[in-house]
Amino acid sequence: MQNHTNKQYLSYRHFWQLVLTKIRFNLRSEVAESYLSYVWWVLEPLLHMGVFYLVFDVIMNRGGPNFVAFLLCGLVPWLWCAKSVNNSARSMLQGKGLISQTNIPKLFFPLVVVGQDTFKQSFAFALLILIVLAYGYPITAYWLWLIPIIAVQILFIISISFFVSFAIPFAADLQYLLKSGVHLWMLLSGIFYDYRRILLPEHQELFLLNPMASLIASYRQVLMYGENPRIVSLTYVALFSVLLIGLMSAVMKRYSNHLTRLVID
Amino acid sequence: METPVIRLTNASVIFEIRKGPFAHEHFPALSDINLDVMAGETLGVIGDNGSGKSTLLRLMAGIYQPDAGTIERATSQVSLLSLALGFDPKLSGFDNAILSSMLLGASRKEALGKLNQIIEFSELQEFIHKQVRTYSSGMRARLGFSVALTMNTDVLLIDEAMAVGDAGFKKKCETAIMEKLSSSLTVVLVSHSTAPLKKLCDRVICLNHGRIVAEGKPEVVLAQYEQLK
Repeated sequence: MQNHTNKQYLSYRHFWQLVLTKIRFNLRSEVAESYLSYVWWVLEPLLHMGVFYLVFDVIMNRGGPNFVAFLLCGLVPWLWCAKSVNNSARSMLQGKGLISQTNIPKLFFPLVVVGQDTFKQSFAFALLILIVLAYGYPITAYWLWLIPIIAVQILFIISISFFVSFAIPFAADLQYLLKSGVHLWMLLSGIFYDYRRILLPEHQELFLLNPMASLIASYRQVLMYGENPRIVSLTYVALFSVLLIGLMSAVMKRYSNHLTRLVID
Repeated sequence: METPVIRLTNASVIFEIRKGPFAHEHFPALSDINLDVMAGETLGVIGDNGSGKSTLLRLMAGIYQPDAGTIERATSQVSLLSLALGFDPKLSGFDNAILSSMLLGASRKEALGKLNQIIEFSELQEFIHKQVRTYSSGMRARLGFSVALTMNTDVLLIDEAMAVGDAGFKKKCETAIMEKLSSSLTVVLVSHSTAPLKKLCDRVICLNHGRIVAEGKPEVVLAQYEQLK
């Protein structure tokens, strides 16, 4: 008898088509659920910004003249990352219905989360660009660097989301650690302070080992300061992400059966 | 000549039940199953709750891998239909039907092409555009059935779904399955009630504590099962 047991039941093209269709449907149902959801996608980063602005600029008087643009350059990329990672953590458990019904590759679940959050954050990115322009920063050739910077960030987010979505079903307790971990990570990413002013020069390289710190620094260099981004750091982040994506894809495939049972029971 | 589409050889599925942070217990859900599912047959599986019926279906569908023994499939198009149905409750029946069709192997174009047929068979009418979370279990079963019966998979695994839905729709599904019986569709039907199995199946196996305890003609095996109780 011809054996199809180990044949992949979805082709790559078909798999990606499914991912994109699911992302579209999920977004559509989010919009259907509250008519204001489009508005929230923009309003939410503004509210976050309002909080930081109040604390650092108004109360502590630590802001500086272009604090709003500066804040948003850090906050918008950060929220994109944090949301994708937090939502990916639950993605496998929320996919229980599908997992108990089909043997769809497990990467489907974090990919849908990242796709959905990326689409939503694109509204915030548009807002970021508008505010930077409103503050009088000119569009320069450096802005072209945005394309590779965003590409690297997508890779990085996918890699971390794969890791988190895989790890959480094995130890649900990790979810609590993840929450504090993401908080700490935010504080270490230089969203509301300029590392060049706050850190000693000898500590700056260490600080920039954090991929989000060097990504955020790069966004500011390109959009506000008219400088090249941190090309070497970005290359390292891209390499790290690609390696982690490859590793996690292999691990997910290897432990797919294990994951299925963890999720169903 | 009859050929097997699914062959299980000494297949076992053993669950690990966590008893604490480092302790776990092993529980065999299926032990040493030897079974050929023949092309075109309608095979019934009967057994009490916890006898391993659903695990057997998941094994056949490729959702579980066996911990011991082997499973061979002659087709990659095996679709599992159960009460849980894997629908996303937040999406509309319409969207879920497209996704389910795609999960059964259709491209998006093909899925859209078959959609009218699916909606018509399901008799859901305007409910098709409502979120699935507002559906009754009968309506969910209708949608699932309609997708699976429209999509022409090779093997259809049905878990208790006949038990839900009103009499009229049940009848319609039975007729649809009867029609498919003449085609090459293979059906595995799981139930803990004997009536639908007696009516529809060519062959029945009886599961008890994860083992096959009887196999053969429906009347014989189902009578044995009644006695066992």
